[in-house]
Amino acid sequence: MGRLDDRVIIVTGGAAGIGRAFADGFVREGASVVLADINGEQAERSAEEIRQAGGQALGLTVDVSDQAQTETMVAETLSRFGKVTGLVNNAAIAIRVRHTRAPLEEIPLDEFDRMLAVNLKGVFLCSRAVLPHMKEQGYGKIINMSSGTFFNGRENLVHYVASKGGVIAFTRVLAREAGPSGIRVNSIAPGLTASETEEHSLEEFAVRIPNRAIKRIEVPEDLVGAGIFFMSAESDFISGQTLAVDGGVVVH
Amino acid sequence: MGKLDERVIIVTGGAQGIGRAFSMRFAEEGARVVIADINGPAAEKTAAEIGEAGGEAIAVPTDVSDHESTEAMAQAVLEKWGRIDGLVNNAAVFQRPQITRGTVEEITAEEWDRVMAVNVRGPFLCCRAVLPHMKARGYGKIVNISSGTFFSGRSSTQYVASKGAVVGMTRTLSREVGDFNITVNSIAPGSTASDPERDESNYQGRVPDRSIKRVERPEDLAGAGVFLMSSDSDFMTGQTMIVDGGAALN
Repeated sequence: MGRLDDRVIIVTGGAAGIGRAFADGFVREGASVVLADINGEQAERSAEEIRQAGGQALGLTVDVSDQAQTETMVAETLSRFGKVTGLVNNAAIAIRVRHTRAPLEEIPLDEFDRMLAVNLKGVFLCSRAVLPHMKEQGYGKIINMSSGTFFNGRENLVHYVASKGGVIAFTRVLAREAGPSGIRVNSIAPGLTASETEEHSLEEFAVRIPNRAIKRIEVPEDLVGAGIFFMSAESDFISGQTLAVDGGVVVH
Repeated sequence: MGKLDERVIIVTGGAQGIGRAFSMRFAEEGARVVIADINGPAAEKTAAEIGEAGGEAIAVPTDVSDHESTEAMAQAVLEKWGRIDGLVNNAAVFQRPQITRGTVEEITAEEWDRVMAVNVRGPFLCCRAVLPHMKARGYGKIVNISSGTFFSGRSSTQYVASKGAVVGMTRTLSREVGDFNITVNSIAPGSTASDPERDESNYQGRVPDRSIKRVERPEDLAGAGVFLMSSDSDFMTGQTMIVDGGAALN
């Protein structure tokens, strides 16, 4: 018996990295998962791997910054699984997507806009798409992925950090708005996490180690326990909170 | 199979209220529970209830503000089970008549000292008592119970200051013991209907502030306790988790 039995959870950016680790953890605990990713092929491959292992999974191509696509995502989830219990707003322009790292005045405007469109408007649109159904069922669990960079103001990433700060503000407001309908909204702020990537070596992820209480590289699996907790009934009286899961860099 | 199989967990103030809810749930999840409470008979009663339900628990009468008593507590646990995986610093004074609900001028220096002795010195001493063993083993989980009032400022100064100190202790200790794979986190409950003498109508005052509009009960905190005592939270340390139905937002 798992802690997420009978729950249906959408994970945006679920094809790989942290999102995939969440999906695998949720399936282990009995959930059915929808891997919604801009890379639809990879989402379907990951979903197929989960199904091969005996789990329930659906892979979908979704650009979270496109309203019509987020609505289709929810419609397809309902058509396949009949309900949506949880949403993890994990899709983002982050370590696995190329972006400029430079002082504010060197950040291209179109890149700033795209960062906010995916990382913040994407959270807004996906939440908007699942809320009518969650409100109707009187229950729902939403996790928004923020970032430890919001707390320490990591330099040369103003577009990214601003988007992740927006996510925390969004979490707090939606928690209050949707609480009376039985919907819980929380945020997880990971540290620099060694998601699989072609561009980055493991050594690059070691730079944050000296700041941590627990001195090792963070890997996607380190976040899974917190994800399961926030998706399960165990956290039903928690809402509007941001949990830093980073080995103790930020103390929040 | 439970989330806490084989773990030995000390819950101070574990006989009643929130501590009791932690103790019962930990036992259900497979942990061996130590009810360390200043009220020995109440501790025995809770331990017996856990035993009747098929769990494992012992009562160790403990005054957390007393150095020798906390050392004896750790020693008794090690003699009984040979290990300590977790400590929940839950014992605290927070109800009348121990706590005056009043302004700074209405709180006596003696009351201030008594509150700090239990609520701050208590967690300090209990951590001190278990840390040598946890360090030697290279693993441990500590949870300090703070309070939502630290965020809202809505209570009297002696209590809120003591609960702020708990958050400070959590942060510093987490950095000190991370190298030993010991995590130190804090839970900040909202106003919780934990006093068996007062029914839930006495706890309605905070409901309008919450996202989830109902009275908070001790059982609402158990899930967070299990999470922070389990390996699911092994890369999370130094954090304070508010469990209050979404009143204070951190």
